[in-house]
Amino acid sequence: MAPDQLFRFSVITTVGVLTTIVLGTITAALMEGRAIVKAFENMARQPSVADSIQAILLIVLAILESTAIYVLLICLVFLFANPFSNIFGL
Amino acid sequence: MGIQDIFPKTLFTVYGIPIKDTVVHTSIMVTILGGLAILADGKYRAWDPPKWQLLLEYIVEYIENLVDAMGGRALPDVVSFLTTMIIFIVIANLLGIVPGFQAPTRSLNTTVAFSLVSLVATQYFGIERQGGLGHLKRLASPIVMLPMNLLSMVSRTLSLALRLFGNIIAGEIVVAVFFMLLPVLGPIPMIFLSMLTSVLQALVFTVLTLVYIVEATGNLTETSTGSGGSV
Repeated sequence: MAPDQLFRFSVITTVGVLTTIVLGTITAALMEGRAIVKAFENMARQPSVADSIQAILLIVLAILESTAIYVLLICLVFLFANPFSNIFGL
Repeated sequence: MGIQDIFPKTLFTVYGIPIKDTVVHTSIMVTILGGLAILADGKYRAWDPPKWQLLLEYIVEYIENLVDAMGGRALPDVVSFLTTMIIFIVIANLLGIVPGFQAPTRSLNTTVAFSLVSLVATQYFGIERQGGLGHLKRLASPIVMLPMNLLSMVSRTLSLALRLFGNIIAGEIVVAVFFMLLPVLGPIPMIFLSMLTSVLQALVFTVLTLVYIVEATGNLTETSTGSGGSV
């Protein structure tokens, strides 16, 4: 592979990965914020069920967080084990 | 310690099969945990219980309350399975803070094994409660939903494995990056954060397995309509 091609491949991969992880984390953070706001509103409205809301909120947050983790995994695959690098013989 | 040290290394080969360090560390962990379980079984005291017994009883009671809250009151044998699972996953996730060890769950093979155990347990409890025919009938209650149910079985297993693996490896990578930036005190807050994530993800894995089991045994819909949807 020519150096020019290698340079272009690396730049495109890096820009793609950076765009993906920025969009993925922003989406997950916004949606987590919505879940937290709703949970806090309802905790303030009904303090008697605040404990059970908090327990479920923790689990829901971990599940939402895993959406960002999936994005991170895809980014890691494209950084460290790019499936297209075999085609170019890198 | 660089980025490359995160991924599992081959320690030795047996007849050409590479044995990674995750296998060795998991085997050591299983041996120690099994020995401790046998020891603890002999030393159980109903009067004046020692501290470790109180800790174990707290974990078992926590899982029992969780099973009750999810509507699986009629499933006493799920409690022992889920308690074993949460103890095993928590210790496997936290093994990285022991010097000389690294967390086995940072390899996808380990987490896929965990989620396959979860899948097999779900089918086992479903067949045990409803019989083989009843279990199949529940999968294909409208016949058009059969491919959807089979597909969701695969995707659940995959997502359980990928969630645990991704969280652990993300924690390891963040710690490695902070170690490269600031070797002395930099990684310590990140290590605390990844310890919190480890315990939380083990809890999430267990709760999701519990939800799948309760759904497979057919108790979820009955209790949630009966008690007005508590979960």
